[in-house]
Amino acid sequence: MIKKSILLPAVSALVLITASCASTGNNNPHEDNDTLESYNRAVFKFNYQVDKYVLKPIAEGYRDITSESVRERVNSVLLNTKEPLFAINNILQGNFKASGISVGRFIINTTLGLGGAFDVAKGWGFPRETQTFDDTLAQWNVPDGPFVVLPFIGPSTPRAATSLVLAMATDPVYWATRNDANVRDKINYTYTAVEAIALRERTLDLLNELERGSVDYYSTMRSAYLQNRKNKGGGNAENDAQSYDFDFGVEDEDEAFNDMEDE
Amino acid sequence: MKKNIFAAVFAAILLMTGNVRANVDAAGAEAFVKNVTNDGIENIINANISQKEKDTRFEKLFNNALDLDFIGKFVLGRAWRTATPQQRKDFIATYRELNIKTWSKRFDEFKGKNFIFKGTTPSNSPNQIFVNTTVPMDQGEPAKVVWRVKQNGSQFKVVDIIIENVSLAITARNEYAGFIKNNAGGVDALIKDLQAKVKAM
Repeated sequence: MIKKSILLPAVSALVLITASCASTGNNNPHEDNDTLESYNRAVFKFNYQVDKYVLKPIAEGYRDITSESVRERVNSVLLNTKEPLFAINNILQGNFKASGISVGRFIINTTLGLGGAFDVAKGWGFPRETQTFDDTLAQWNVPDGPFVVLPFIGPSTPRAATSLVLAMATDPVYWATRNDANVRDKINYTYTAVEAIALRERTLDLLNELERGSVDYYSTMRSAYLQNRKNKGGGNAENDAQSYDFDFGVEDEDEAFNDMEDE
Repeated sequence: MKKNIFAAVFAAILLMTGNVRANVDAAGAEAFVKNVTNDGIENIINANISQKEKDTRFEKLFNNALDLDFIGKFVLGRAWRTATPQQRKDFIATYRELNIKTWSKRFDEFKGKNFIFKGTTPSNSPNQIFVNTTVPMDQGEPAKVVWRVKQNGSQFKVVDIIIENVSLAITARNEYAGFIKNNAGGVDALIKDLQAKVKAM
């Protein structure tokens, strides 16, 4: 697990750096909180190149050579490895019944569902109870912090990055292979790569569409990402897009803009 | 303590502006969105007509259903106030064209799908209301689509569409603010870039 052991301190350091800026973020609802914009834009540019020349072509190739039903099975297997993560977070949120369902789903789908390729448990009346560390931290009212673009990983926030690090500890692929040094790295690299490719394939159409109509792709991505996160809560339980005041009282606007200029 | 004060202030504001908000006809707003989506699905997506006729019909539906002058003004944000009348006019026209082109292309994605109406939610803004819908997907959870509707007399207009928590108007507003901030050319450069996008479509 070379990659994970490097990633862990790197992400932790970033979280510390960015968390310290959290309090200086502007609270103006009219503009995104982006205290790290120049750094973010540089990393975004780097990620964009990596995506353009490596990840996106591979994801497109993957789409070309597989049928939709095959990709569905792959996505299902990947999602099944998240059940332990959902189980732990359901407990942390006090949903013991949901946690039991996650454990049951993992056992049933890993065995009868052929490694998670088929969602047998759902047919038995046990739907997926998706809860990540991010949801747990949001429920505990941990603030999200400023927007940060992580190298290779993409749009994130200190809370989202923290959740990512915590999630590694619940990864069954890591635990299943950790005793055998020979296969451990190979399997984990492959698993990470497959996960990245499958995720990119799922977002191909959406991101193409977003980029095509955008004059500032970075701002578009940031806005969409942050709106989605604000809906997760953490002192921000209300849906931002809906609590947003769509009134054109010019005086309100003036006030908001003046506040911004003062900062 | 802080929350209590906030709640009291909020309640006071609510009382003062309550009469403004009460004007929105929730059933009317929902019926309006139903009409728009039905018209789009039956008379455009599922209709047996040429692509050219489809585009014409879509443009008409789009212009009737959405208040692009209102949306454009919101989307340009702070730059709207300093823009010249000509810039405002050009921006709205280009923004309208960009949206028509973008959505007439994406519209076919709704083929074979239908909107399920889930009632309305009140809005903080006067004369506005949210109409909640979901669209069943081939895979996974249904997509959540919320329509922000503004009432003007007996007339309704869509002023924003919120897909899976992401507002199209807020996203565009942030995008254009980001562009203007990083471009010396300001609003003129934005209009020029948007026109180039429209042409490339």
